[in-house]
Amino acid sequence: MRELAGKLLRLDRRAIFVLIALATLLPLLHPFGLPIRVSPEVKAVHDHIESLPAGSLFLLSLDFDPASKPELYPMAVALLKHAFKRDLRVIGMTLWVTGTGMAEKVVSGVAKEYGKRRGTDYAFLGYSPGGANVIINMGQDLTATFPTDYYGERTADLQALRGVRSLRQVNYVVSLAAGTPGVESWYVYGKEKYGFELGGGVTAVIAPGLYPFLNTGQINGLIGGLRGAAEYETLIGMKGKGVAGMDAQSATHFVIILLILLCNLFYFISPRTAVPRGSPEEVGR
Amino acid sequence: MTLFLRRTFPLIITFLFGVAFAIQYYVPHPVSEAALTEVSVWLRIILGFAMILGIASLGQVHYAKIRTGVAGWGYSVVVYVSMLATVGVGLWAGGQEEGTGFGWIYAYTLLALQGTMFAMLGFFVASAAFRAFRARSKEAAVLLLAAIVMMFGRVPLGEYLVPAAGPLAGWLLNVLNTAARRGIIIGISLGGIATSIKIIFGIERSYLGGRE
Repeated sequence: MRELAGKLLRLDRRAIFVLIALATLLPLLHPFGLPIRVSPEVKAVHDHIESLPAGSLFLLSLDFDPASKPELYPMAVALLKHAFKRDLRVIGMTLWVTGTGMAEKVVSGVAKEYGKRRGTDYAFLGYSPGGANVIINMGQDLTATFPTDYYGERTADLQALRGVRSLRQVNYVVSLAAGTPGVESWYVYGKEKYGFELGGGVTAVIAPGLYPFLNTGQINGLIGGLRGAAEYETLIGMKGKGVAGMDAQSATHFVIILLILLCNLFYFISPRTAVPRGSPEEVGR
Repeated sequence: MTLFLRRTFPLIITFLFGVAFAIQYYVPHPVSEAALTEVSVWLRIILGFAMILGIASLGQVHYAKIRTGVAGWGYSVVVYVSMLATVGVGLWAGGQEEGTGFGWIYAYTLLALQGTMFAMLGFFVASAAFRAFRARSKEAAVLLLAAIVMMFGRVPLGEYLVPAAGPLAGWLLNVLNTAARRGIIIGISLGGIATSIKIIFGIERSYLGGRE
């Protein structure tokens, strides 16, 4: 038994890869659709958008690249659908150069779905180099930071940006971020000085790091990972990729929990010989 | 003169701008705001040049690998070819993505490759969890327990099987995690302030390149 446990501990990792692949694929093909509990931090973002009167300015900064698309793209879709449904004026932009094409696609795609006109109901500013400095620039003079939008139209002439001189006139900013520059940059260089309300949507990996900002009110709400996207979709009554991915995430989490439990079981019953502390054998154990 | 330009002049600029913009934050006068607007534009221009420096550095590193023929030098060739091809196609397309080769490269190579890299993490995390996540000590056991609670509480199936898992995971995030993160943030911030003061007053000079 102890030898068997030792052998299982050295299980070929390809077997684990197959398990994870199945745990991801099968629920996507045959979803079981369990109810999703909505957390207060996600509801806070939703409620703030609900509270904004039609015509208010909502800035969505899509600060991520294709690597984080599975988690943050569903959030972007859900937030944009909600904002367009509420007839808010939407400003889209990104601080990540590799996310520009993707950001444009989601903003213009959802806008088209709701019959919104580019330049009149929404504007997509695109990317401008400088990271957090772009936020300071926008806080000082938005049209000077982006003299033209992504499509080359003069921002000063856009109906969607009428009455907007800087970030001070923006009612709500949500940064969907996969790192820096992201939510923290928008808080430190934006909200702190220019006084707009700020919400965040981030990958599950960085969400725990933002809870201190949430509890102090520095950000009013937080959408964390695919789970957060699924919660937002539930709130607006939409069945998008967030909800669809929840079953796969449930299954993979359970496979990983099972693997951890088995690993510890095998570890405690497998034969252990004395190995020098810090040696490769000891590290491998 | 060389020493003045290489050491003293940068120190004077750093001191003047450091002090001026630390004060600027607390002065909402239009002149102060105009100075911030101007300087933030300068910063973005400097960052643009930093990007050029980064590309030059990347080119240099990979050129050295190809020249010396170190193991994996072929990947450096791939870096050169893909970078130059993307820049070439991007210039040809005038920076426009819609319906151009540049857009095609973005959608069918960058998007796919970055997505694949990130997706592979899931497999490696599972494999690492099986091999390394062991309760070797009391601290490791606590970490293990917290990880299991989080994984249970952050998915609908976990909450369905154990209804208390969701609120418990929320408590871990909102209380224990926040307390630890807050300590880390305060530590980093104090360190940042201390380093900034050292740079402004010329005590920390490593940014000058190490040559005195």
